[in-house]
Amino acid sequence: MAADMVDTLSPYDSLPEHLRALVTDQVEHQGQLALHCLSADQRTMLEHFRTQQGYDFLVDMTAIDHLGMDQPERFEVVYVLRRLGENSQLFRLHVWLSEDSPDLPTVFDLWDSARWGERETHDMFGITFEGNPDLRRFLMPEDYPGFPLLKDYPLRGMGERRQFPRVVPRGDQMAEEEPEDYPTSIGRGMHTPEYTEEVRRDSKPK
Amino acid sequence: MGLESLIGGEGFLTTTVNSIVNWGRKNALWPMPFGTACCAIEMMATFSGRYDISRFGAEVVRFSPRQADLLIVSGRISLKMMPVLQKIYRQMPEPKWVISMGACASCGGVFDTYTLIQGVDQFIPVDVYVPGCPPRPESLLDALLEIQNLVGEERFDSGKHGS
Ligand code: SF4
Repeated sequence: MAADMVDTLSPYDSLPEHLRALVTDQVEHQGQLALHCLSADQRTMLEHFRTQQGYDFLVDMTAIDHLGMDQPERFEVVYVLRRLGENSQLFRLHVWLSEDSPDLPTVFDLWDSARWGERETHDMFGITFEGNPDLRRFLMPEDYPGFPLLKDYPLRGMGERRQFPRVVPRGDQMAEEEPEDYPTSIGRGMHTPEYTEEVRRDSKPK
Repeated sequence: MGLESLIGGEGFLTTTVNSIVNWGRKNALWPMPFGTACCAIEMMATFSGRYDISRFGAEVVRFSPRQADLLIVSGRISLKMMPVLQKIYRQMPEPKWVISMGACASCGGVFDTYTLIQGVDQFIPVDVYVPGCPPRPESLLDALLEIQNLVGEERFDSGKHGS
């Protein structure tokens, strides 16, 4: 049966020759396969898996920040793909992404679930997905300035958690007071050298 | 057998307006539960039959802040939740009291991270803190009794809620 034959092929083996050349690495860990490719080939690979191989479910997507590690690029964007039904398959596609231009084309036209996945990845890592019409903040507040899962973002933040006014009762009225130390470093972009410098300085233990 | 049988037909009591109002208030606190994490489970246990907060007159749990006078902040308050908590606090009519329940609400607990408010008392006034992770229902009941003492000490002409 043809279906059985497809079933036995791993995602890598089922790729045509010209796409196999784009896979830079394949890693198997605990029975789970991960294919690696470059950011320029991300769209080609994912389109192929969606349209030619019937991977109809983008289970999840996220990113990894390899700052200071011995890796080809700083970012790795991870797509977990699943094919439902009889030839069920599950594997991950890891896309290397450079720190200098952290953007990728969107894939929300292939899987609807990529909308939220891309929003979350943008929210946490500052990676932009060109073509995603709705790249708003996802978990953090709308006006949050930084990207908290970056390895060079201080764990305790840049003072955002102290920025609220203080509500105090005054007789039968409510008044608001400014807190004493208002943050100075919010509202900056991620990829400017000054910002990176400031974050490194602030995140050193005092 | 009610109050009237104790007083007997034509009897009367003397008291001050202040004490009778405080007596009424402290024995009928209406809590607004602001449960955002695991502490809320313990708060629910306190409200339910086994621990039975109604023994202390505080069983009328109001999910509208406009009908409540005791705010129980139980759980982690994140950056996104803090404005909501402040709004809810401001919507409660005076006089009002606040219990900060658990390590997270009181000081951030183990979550010393970018998104967690390190103690709600930085931004809203807190009357009683309950230590623990999570505090046992007995601790919350103790905090309620502590609040009742505070209410009992209120005066119209001075103090926290005096005008
Ligand atoms: S103090 Fe402990 S039990 Fe309460 S919300 Fe925090 S982690 Fe949960």
